[in-house]
Amino acid sequence: MVSRRLSGPAMAALTSMLLLATGASAQAQALTVYSAGPDALIERLAADFTEQTGIAVNVFQSTTGQVMARLEAERANPLADVVISASWDSATSLADEGLLHEYLSANANQVPDFLKTDYYVAQGVSALALVWNRNSDSPAPKDWSDLTDAAYANQVTMPDPAQSGAAFELVTGLLTSMGEEGTWSLLEALVDNGMIVPGPNARALNPVLQGAKSVVFGAVDYISLGQQADGEAIDVIFPESGTVIAPRPMMILASTAQPDEAEQFVDFVLSEQGQKRVAESYLMPARDDIDALRPTLGELTLIDVDAEEMNAQRDAILSRFRDVTGHQ
Amino acid sequence: MSVGKRLRLPRLTGAGSVLLLTALALLMLVGLPLGYIILQAVFPHWTRGDLSGAFTLFIPTLLDPALLKLLGNTLRLGLVVVAACALLAVPLGALRALTRVPGGALWDVIFLIPFMIPPYIAALSWMLTLQPRGYAQQLTGMEANHFLFSFPGIVFVMVLNVFPVVYFAVSRTMLSVGGRYASAARVCGANKWKTLWRVTLPLSTPGIAASLLLVFALTIEEFGTPAMLGAQAGFYVLVTGIHQRFSDWPIDIPGAAVLSLLLVMLAMGAFYFQHWLVTRRSYISQTGKPAVLERAELGGWKWPVMVLFSTVAFISVVVPILAVLATALTGTLSGGLVLDNLSLRHFEALFANRGGAMQALGTSLSLAVGAALITGVLGALVGYLVVRAQVRGKGLLDLLSLLPNTLPGVVVAVGLILAWNQSHWPIQVYNTSAMLLLAYTCLLLPYPVRYASAAFRQMGESLEAAARVCGAGFLTTFRRILLPALAPSLLVAMLLVFAIASRELVASLMVAPAGMRTVSTFVFGQFEQGSPGVGMAMSAVAIFTTTALLVGLTAFSRKRLAVTG
Repeated sequence: MVSRRLSGPAMAALTSMLLLATGASAQAQALTVYSAGPDALIERLAADFTEQTGIAVNVFQSTTGQVMARLEAERANPLADVVISASWDSATSLADEGLLHEYLSANANQVPDFLKTDYYVAQGVSALALVWNRNSDSPAPKDWSDLTDAAYANQVTMPDPAQSGAAFELVTGLLTSMGEEGTWSLLEALVDNGMIVPGPNARALNPVLQGAKSVVFGAVDYISLGQQADGEAIDVIFPESGTVIAPRPMMILASTAQPDEAEQFVDFVLSEQGQKRVAESYLMPARDDIDALRPTLGELTLIDVDAEEMNAQRDAILSRFRDVTGHQ
Repeated sequence: MSVGKRLRLPRLTGAGSVLLLTALALLMLVGLPLGYIILQAVFPHWTRGDLSGAFTLFIPTLLDPALLKLLGNTLRLGLVVVAACALLAVPLGALRALTRVPGGALWDVIFLIPFMIPPYIAALSWMLTLQPRGYAQQLTGMEANHFLFSFPGIVFVMVLNVFPVVYFAVSRTMLSVGGRYASAARVCGANKWKTLWRVTLPLSTPGIAASLLLVFALTIEEFGTPAMLGAQAGFYVLVTGIHQRFSDWPIDIPGAAVLSLLLVMLAMGAFYFQHWLVTRRSYISQTGKPAVLERAELGGWKWPVMVLFSTVAFISVVVPILAVLATALTGTLSGGLVLDNLSLRHFEALFANRGGAMQALGTSLSLAVGAALITGVLGALVGYLVVRAQVRGKGLLDLLSLLPNTLPGVVVAVGLILAWNQSHWPIQVYNTSAMLLLAYTCLLLPYPVRYASAAFRQMGESLEAAARVCGAGFLTTFRRILLPALAPSLLVAMLLVFAIASRELVASLMVAPAGMRTVSTFVFGQFEQGSPGVGMAMSAVAIFTTTALLVGLTAFSRKRLAVTG
């Protein structure tokens, strides 16, 4: 009863909220896409898609962690139609929980089998690499284990596998190719050599860009390839002994109210035009018939990781990593 | 029947209904999201509509041996930053209020700028400046890597970020404590120092204590600086642990909620200490009698004081902004500070409106204005409610109004999503910009409330009594008597809200509706995607725009309201 008599200020506050609310609800019919990864890429894909189909797209672009936290918090009332993540495991878990809409685009015919399932398909693929500052006093490294050399003392950074899904994949890749013993003794040697683990990818990369450090151990490649193209004095080096890839799964939520439009969007991203956009971001396109601006799957030495097995041990691996690096 | 009720309603107008509405607003804004966080902590599967496993998370999370270390670090960081802020800002604020510092109000504007530099940008600026091959080394050959990535380094960067809270509280409080008591003390034979120590400073306790409480709360919830510098320093705090749970798949919201409740408890401890401090005795110094504040001449101290103010301004404002500009105006980071590397390409990318940069600026500024207005009004009312109203549970409301400041932004954001993204609400505010306004209002309400309640504690009740005797209702009294007396403190608090809301990052990342960007989410995206130059260019544009707005506003309010001395 009392609340009917709103005081002036409360009224003003309410009206301003309502105004803001109505402003946004005008676009309620648009397709909502949550995307991790390159901002420019998803903006261009959305714009091209709208131009072609007339369907408006609202994009929420952030890190994989933010996108997934938002999906989790929105469980009561999911809003996203299409989700693009940078972590293949996130898609696997969502599919296992029955939260994904079953759809395999016809355009996915050219996507290799290991990059698609009935519920999700790769938008593009990145790989992990060494990123080396050309102006540094340290020589260009060729392989992961080079960085234990005294020439790289206090010159190496590594993204934190607890905060970057790609860095976690790298650790699992090393565990696969070098075994438990080899991997942990390599990491111990790196830490003894002064390697730091400052946080997610961007935070490991920045000190190397300015030259405070010389090499990133396991950076996400496409970001650095883009910076190199922009004139930064860095080289992206794919280790001889092999590296891991991080495919970026694209999926439709089962809760979507617009499955047809969402399917059209997935078709579009996997179309020739969409995949060319993906290539422009220095990612490997998911389709093998689209040219990339960078080394592709066939040109890299890849470590074949049993993801399911490794994910089952995720906590143990991370806790061992913390012990080795003296983190927390 | 309903007619009868309606007829009786007008009696509820005035103080009663306004205060009831205020309490309701506070419960909606702060209580609701907080309640959902507690539910989430208690029922780990709450988001899936499953109530099983209640309290199962508390034991394993709280028994984690690493937790004690995190808790200790958090507490140590909070206390040291509070002490350092007091040492730095109380003298600055007192000098500004009680003496004629050359430059006067200009310093207020300058010291508001650190607040407009987002903490993670400030930390990044210091990294780019002090690390090996950083700007300092490129220019002067000096680097301070070891200092920066250490506990003192983290404290240094954080103090520079938050000291304005104390500076403004001290200078505003001492202004309104007025010269009358000081004059009386001087008449009784006390010298200047004795007057300061025995009269002015003790009477200013509420303002100082309130601002130090804010600093403590801000420090224990701050994410940007510990995240940027902490990992290299090997120094971790609770907030880093909380963010870790949000940073990659699988997301652990319940675990984050449990850790957040620990932060809340830390802040409650600080709150009760401050409460005990300011309610032990009366600090009433504003009785309505006009007091002309005689500012002391500095005489021979003029130059040392100028050097002090300039040094603080140089370190807290000039250095970070130069680092921001250096990054924004050089083509590549690896190219360094050489003429060849000078480039406007990052600004060109901005003004070509890549990724909606200009819309982001517009969104942030309008939301910041909205948040400042709403929290200003609400803060004044809550402050009044807490200090003056004779109602049960007002202590709880007081505490509630502080809590958002102690909760990490990401947790408040999750609480807001859980609370508002429900189909049973008649109006859907989720996924609209109203969500951002709600988040900012919730997160920033503590500033106006702290500043306002400190001011009310210094005001005599005789003023209101006099107004009422003259026939004024509650609203009239509030508007004509209390608000003018409150204005100096409240305006500064609103400026702080504006400054912080215009650059808030963590909650914005979570609740910004799809398709909408704020300055901070734009900048963060640029860093994540490996374009620090564009990110810094956007930061520079935002910092200069908000500063220009504030300078305009200050000039305007000085003319119209005669607020500052």
